[in-house]
Amino acid sequence: MTISNGDGDSAAKDGRRERKRKRRAEPSLVKWKTEGEQKTYSSKLIEALRRVRRSSATGAASAATDHSRSRAVREAADRALAAAARGRTRWSRAILCGRTLKRRVLPRAGRPKPVGPARAAERSKPPALKTKARVLGRLVPGCRKLPLPSLLEEVSDYIAALEMQVRAMSVIAEALSAVGGAPSPAQTEGPI
Amino acid sequence: MSSRRARSRQSTSSSRITDEQINDLVSKLQAVLPEARLHGCLSMQVSAAKVLQETCNYIRSLHREVDDLSERLSELLATTEASSAQAAIIRSLLK
Repeated sequence: MTISNGDGDSAAKDGRRERKRKRRAEPSLVKWKTEGEQKTYSSKLIEALRRVRRSSATGAASAATDHSRSRAVREAADRALAAAARGRTRWSRAILCGRTLKRRVLPRAGRPKPVGPARAAERSKPPALKTKARVLGRLVPGCRKLPLPSLLEEVSDYIAALEMQVRAMSVIAEALSAVGGAPSPAQTEGPI
Repeated sequence: MSSRRARSRQSTSSSRITDEQINDLVSKLQAVLPEARLHGCLSMQVSAAKVLQETCNYIRSLHREVDDLSERLSELLATTEASSAQAAIIRSLLK
């Protein structure tokens, strides 16, 4: 009887461990391709764009140069994208924390590396891969000191998110540019 | 927090990752790149360094696209009127 109870306990523990493993599983890339996600992002982006437009309009119109405005649009788009990730990835958290905090050293990064067999095993990665991985880590926000497997996961999620950002922004740009060509029917509709 | 400690413990054990694990992850990454989709699944022996290089280039091109689009959007925002912009946006969202 005790043996069966033990089996039941271990089975339950395995189930719990498996569930824990599933919870820590990598974020699925499929969600960046769904239309619903893109629509959510588009509406968030439009809100941010409206804010940018209002802030640039209230200030001196001549002071707001084209470059600063496009920079503000880019940052708003990135922040909306990071918010859409719901904080499950490192790059999204890094964007939301603000880009000025890039130089801050995270406490995890300051850990001393173990000497001996571990270092020999790390050298198994050829230096060419190491430099390329470092360049890649610099491109993705917040992933500079990440080991290779986590870095590659962040990169694939980041790429899928960027693709969605490009799709959503082009849709909005098309809609706005189409309106610019035909102002009269839109004006009769009036502000909704 | 205990979760953070557990994660750091995991990183020390994963520092001994095998080449096989690296190749596995790299092939997964390759599947995301657009060039891989063009070549089909035939190119199995592509070196990891090449995949990383392609990934860097692809991310840079995506950044450039986003920059161009945000420039275009900022120009459009400056020129269109508020009412027509609202109508256009709502129309695009409902599509």
